[in-house]
Amino acid sequence: MTPAARPLARPGLRIEPLTVAAAIAAALALLPLVAVVVTALGPGADSLKWPTFWRYAATSAALAGMVAVGAGVLGTLAAWLVVMHRFPGRDLFAWALVLPLAAPAFAMAYGYADLFDVAGPIRTALRSALGADVPLETRSLPGAAMVLSLAFYPYVYLTLRAALVNQSVTALEAARSLGRTANGAFWAVTLPMARPAIAAGMALAVMETLADYGAVSFLGVQTLTTGVVRAWSVFGSTPEAARLALPLLGAAAVLMFVERLSRRNRMADTGAARWRPLPTQQLGPVGASLAILFCFGLIALGLLAPAGWLVWRGLTVEPETARLVASGIRALGLAIIAGVVTTALAAALALGAGQRRLLARAASLGYATPGAVMAVGLLAPAGFLWRGFHGAAEGVGVALALLILAYAARLMAAALEPVDAGLERVTPSMVRAARSLGQTATGAAMKVELPIARGALLTAALLVFIDVLKELPATLILRPFGFDTLAVMADYYAKDERLAQASWPSLAIVLIALPAVVWLTHRVGASRPGAPI
Amino acid sequence: MSVLEARDLTRRYGEMTTVADAGLSLEGGRITALLGPSGCGKSTLLRMIAGLERPDAGEVWAGGRLLSGPGVFVPPEQRDIGFVFQDYALFPHLSVEKNVAFGLAALKPAERKARTMEQLGRVRMADRRGDYPQALSGGEQQRVALARTLARQPAVVLLDEPFSGLDGRLKAEVREATLAALRASGAAALIVTHDAEEAMMMADDLALMRAGRILQTGTARDCYLDPASPEAARLLGDTVELRAERANGQAVTAFGRLPAQGEGPVLVVARPEAFRIAPADSAGAVDAQVTRVSFGGPFVLADVTAGGQCAVARIPLAQAPAVGERLRLRLEPSFCKVFEAR
Repeated sequence: MTPAARPLARPGLRIEPLTVAAAIAAALALLPLVAVVVTALGPGADSLKWPTFWRYAATSAALAGMVAVGAGVLGTLAAWLVVMHRFPGRDLFAWALVLPLAAPAFAMAYGYADLFDVAGPIRTALRSALGADVPLETRSLPGAAMVLSLAFYPYVYLTLRAALVNQSVTALEAARSLGRTANGAFWAVTLPMARPAIAAGMALAVMETLADYGAVSFLGVQTLTTGVVRAWSVFGSTPEAARLALPLLGAAAVLMFVERLSRRNRMADTGAARWRPLPTQQLGPVGASLAILFCFGLIALGLLAPAGWLVWRGLTVEPETARLVASGIRALGLAIIAGVVTTALAAALALGAGQRRLLARAASLGYATPGAVMAVGLLAPAGFLWRGFHGAAEGVGVALALLILAYAARLMAAALEPVDAGLERVTPSMVRAARSLGQTATGAAMKVELPIARGALLTAALLVFIDVLKELPATLILRPFGFDTLAVMADYYAKDERLAQASWPSLAIVLIALPAVVWLTHRVGASRPGAPI
Repeated sequence: MSVLEARDLTRRYGEMTTVADAGLSLEGGRITALLGPSGCGKSTLLRMIAGLERPDAGEVWAGGRLLSGPGVFVPPEQRDIGFVFQDYALFPHLSVEKNVAFGLAALKPAERKARTMEQLGRVRMADRRGDYPQALSGGEQQRVALARTLARQPAVVLLDEPFSGLDGRLKAEVREATLAALRASGAAALIVTHDAEEAMMMADDLALMRAGRILQTGTARDCYLDPASPEAARLLGDTVELRAERANGQAVTAFGRLPAQGEGPVLVVARPEAFRIAPADSAGAVDAQVTRVSFGGPFVLADVTAGGQCAVARIPLAQAPAVGERLRLRLEPSFCKVFEAR
């Protein structure tokens, strides 16, 4: 921790525009969460039965546990292979392993459910080969766990890779000089030292799992999040939705705590040795083949196979081009506006919160909170607003503003991360110099800090952009009537069992998100010395 | 009988040769200091001996066993060489006790525990065994790192700038404790340092290194009084370098004569303490003018000029001259060395 990072923002009661902006940003992030709690504790139709609640909760917990293990194992193996070994294609795999992040989990669920359908190509082939049906059912808890593990392993891969690349090499060398082999040293020292990073990656994967609606609802797995959406859409009961959302909120707080804890421990790395590249092992022909097979298999299963199958299916129907274009424009517009707004709020928070980390900490809670919960939280304030605005056009405006707010509340912490990192490049004396040259704190922020961190701001905006493109439940709940995005359109067709039609908007999301993901992974890799990118 | 011998070790990084034909030999129970300016290749040499880096040429022998050579490279874990890292490299996820026990996986649990506690006791860290490295001070971390290395009872211990992270009085204290522990272990120790005074004080033997080459090896006293080259002399302390002509078995400098065989120009490398105040009538002494005096505690450093040459002389405080004074000076031959001029 660098306590001197924001020296001019001392805790005190001086009213500075930046501090006000930061407080507003934090308040916006917290508003939906508070509203959920208030709504849940308030009166309402008591249609929620305890057995139903427990079934949802148990399913959510089981799914989260399976995905944590699945994504944890896959991501750890991938990072271990790519960081500690040399084999043909390693540099390519190093960033290609992140690509599944471009595909929304629901798109992968569509692809896999269809591939493994009773009438699908895989089970048909197996039937003719074995003479009996193999019940590989994706529409099940294990099936959903598999799909989500493949969708979310990049979170573990990314955090672990970053931790391994930044780890002190001397610890590994010390283990060697104390009698461990290269591989033994990895498992005895390097990996345990990176445990916090793995935990953080798994926490992110679990957050995404709990937040997911599109994939699990399509696969018929009833989690708390599907319960929240169902309570609202089928029963029209906001209080019931809020009550189902409460445990999710609790889980979010725990997961955020886990993730934060891992950051604190990162500082515990003893010594700051001169940086030296990690020793890598050259793999022999057999090892290299296995490594390539694993990495390629992971990318194939995580992106190429389901996306490829969707392309194949999509080609069998005429796409509804007009609707697709309209939804695409809406999705793009929403994602761009949300990216800009969220990044602006995150920047205000980073600059204005100063050492009052509690503000930033509070805003982080939103990141772990499922979009459905955010949306439910905004439904109550929305009720007041809608009563105030009578015109239809105004109603649409208010609904879109709430939707952007839900995105911002959920993704502000994700955007805060790179913005904070970017602002670390601004030394305290730069800000002091600007102040001594006549700038106010706000002026120094606008003229010195933000321009220096502009690369980080773009990173933050792109992160939000990708997430908003893929977001489904909050959009479903808060969007104005008839305002379809690509994700909503895909969900509509998928629920209607028109998978070929659903594949077009799903693929459109992948196509729009892919360049952004590629750009981001290159940028993240370039910022670390020696990262294999 | 040397426990470890490095012969002609060479390491290149692209165009740059970091270590060139470096050789040295270590004996059990003796402490050797590898002294050189930063960036001279000391750490690389150390890492090649430990097997943490692969030499491009040269050999490493331990007793009769070839550790590293053409077609041979014994991995570090099989070398019986301990390494104390500059940043200590303690494992942050393991307690002090587990750090020390880390290298003892081959022992039975009871024996491992006994050996660990014995080592921790020796470095007076037994009561901190449950703590994690983050909770320790720099000196304590260094002690744990040393105990961890010595617990395996290696034949050779390499220490890479082990005291550089410590300051002032703590440094002297930790150094004494470390040397005592190393001597008690009976291992051959090689300590990398860039501090000449430290190197001479703690080591039985010195290896002087500059620009990737070993300039000289030998006892600290021999290296100091009989440097192999002007470069070697400069590594061990301040020098005054005087050009001189040689004739009739004598080299004639501006500050006096020294015995020297042969003919032609020479370079006389003198220590500041070689300058002695001589009686007014003594032969072979010269008159010098004092232009500046700086106080150094038990001695003063006097800038003196004679015959158009300048020098810095180290003179006991009791004889301290005043600025502008004229002194009768001579050179003490045992603190001077005559080299062929190049």
